[in-house]
Amino acid sequence: MPNLAVKNLLYQLADDQLILGHRNSEWTGFGPILEEDIAFSSMAQDKLGHSLAFYSLLHALGEGEPDTVAFMRNADQFHNCQLVELPIGEYDFSLIRHFLYDNAEILRFEALSQSSHPEIAKIATKLKGEVKYHVLHANTMVKQLGSATAESINRLQNSLDYAFPYALGMFEPSEYGQELHDTGVFIGEAALQTEWLARITLVLEKTSLKLPNVSTIQPVYGGRKGQHTSHLQPLLDEMAEVFKIDPSAEW
Amino acid sequence: MTQNSSSIDPRVNRLHLETDDHPTPKPALDQLETFEVFHQKKVGAAYTYVGPVHAANEEIAFLFAKEQYSRRAICSGMWVAKTQHVFLSGYADDATSIYDNLPTLSEVPNAAEQSYEIFHLKKRGKAHQHAGSVTARSPLHALYVAKEVLQTSPAVNVWVIASAHVLRQEQDQDMWATTPDKKYREAMAYRVQDKIEKFKAEQKA
Repeated sequence: MPNLAVKNLLYQLADDQLILGHRNSEWTGFGPILEEDIAFSSMAQDKLGHSLAFYSLLHALGEGEPDTVAFMRNADQFHNCQLVELPIGEYDFSLIRHFLYDNAEILRFEALSQSSHPEIAKIATKLKGEVKYHVLHANTMVKQLGSATAESINRLQNSLDYAFPYALGMFEPSEYGQELHDTGVFIGEAALQTEWLARITLVLEKTSLKLPNVSTIQPVYGGRKGQHTSHLQPLLDEMAEVFKIDPSAEW
Repeated sequence: MTQNSSSIDPRVNRLHLETDDHPTPKPALDQLETFEVFHQKKVGAAYTYVGPVHAANEEIAFLFAKEQYSRRAICSGMWVAKTQHVFLSGYADDATSIYDNLPTLSEVPNAAEQSYEIFHLKKRGKAHQHAGSVTARSPLHALYVAKEVLQTSPAVNVWVIASAHVLRQEQDQDMWATTPDKKYREAMAYRVQDKIEKFKAEQKA
C-alpha cells in the first residue's frame, strides 16, 4: 500500500495541530491580558485550520470525512505527540509549549513545502506564512519574559524543564521515515530535530533561560504510535461533546 | 468565600474558583502602556490608523496589533508607535484646515534634523491617514514643513511621529497571505440566519 507512509505522516501533522489548537483555545476568555487572549486564540484557530487542510487531504486519499476523523476517534487512534495533549497549565507552560512546538512546526512546513508530494507541498507553502507569525509571537514573548523578572524567568525555566522531554517526543522516529526520506516526501525527524535545537538555542541565548542538556534527557515517545497520557481522552470527550449529540447535523 | 463549581463551561470548573464576597479594589494604573496602530490594505496604499493596543514594547505591540486589527481585514503591512510619541496638532472645524491655524513657531529650533511621519485626519469621524514624511527639527517644525511640502487637501487634525519611533512590519507579507481564506472567522460565512429560517420553515410544515 504505497499511500500508507504518506497517510501516517498526514495523521501526525493533522493530529498535532488539532490537539494543540484545541488546547490553546482553552485560553479563550482566560488569557493574561485582552490582546494576548485574542492573539493566542487566533493562533489556536489557525492550528485548527491547518489540521483541517491535512484531514481534507487525507479524505481525498480515501480516509473519512474531516469531522468524523477529528471527533469520532479514541485516544489510541491519535498520532499526535504527547507534548500537545498536556493540559494548558498556567500561562508559562502554554507559552513554552507554543515556543517549542512552533519552532519545530515552521521547519516542518519549510521542509514539506519542498516535498515531492505535490499536494503536501502546496498546503505547506500556503500555510507557512501563518506559522511564521506564530514563531515570531513565541520568540518575542519568550525573549521578553525570559529576561524580565525573577518570577517570569523561574516560571519559564520550570516549564521548559518539564516540557523539554515531551518536546523531544515531537521527533519520534517513524517506521516510515526511511521511505518518506527516500521518496523525497519528507526529510525526516532527525534532521528536523538538529535544526530545531539550533533555532531555539539562538532564542534562549538572548534570555536568562537555560536549555536542558539534550544528551541526558530521555525523550517521551509513544504518541506517534497511539500511546498517550491520561489527559488526551478527556480532551477528546470534551471536544466532541456537542458534535456527538447529533453527528449528522449540518454546521 | 463560597465554592463556585457549577459553570456550564468546563474550563471554569477546572479553575476551582472561589467567589470572593469582599473583593479588593483594583489597583490604579495596572495596565501596560498603549501603542497606536496603522495598517496598510494593499502594497502602495497609505497607512491608516486602526486603533490602540496595550503592550510592554513595540515588538509585542505589533504581535497584538496583528491579531487585533488584521485577523479578518486584508492587510499587507503594519506600523506601530508608542502613544506618547504621537504629537498632536489642534483641531480645526470640518471644511477648514488646521494648517491655516498652526501655533506660532517663533524660530526654527536648534535641534538636529530628523524625519517625521505626518498623518492627516481629513474629516472628523474618519481615521488618520499617512500623508507623507518630512525632515524637520521638532514636531511643531514638522507641521510647518508639512504645510509647505505635502500640499494635500485640508486636514482637521494632524499627528506627527518621529520616523525613528515607528516600528514597521512591511517585509513579511506572507503572514497575512491566507486572511481572505479564513472564512471561518466571518460570522456571515456560517449563514446562521438561512439555517434558522430553514429550520422554522420545516417546523411550520
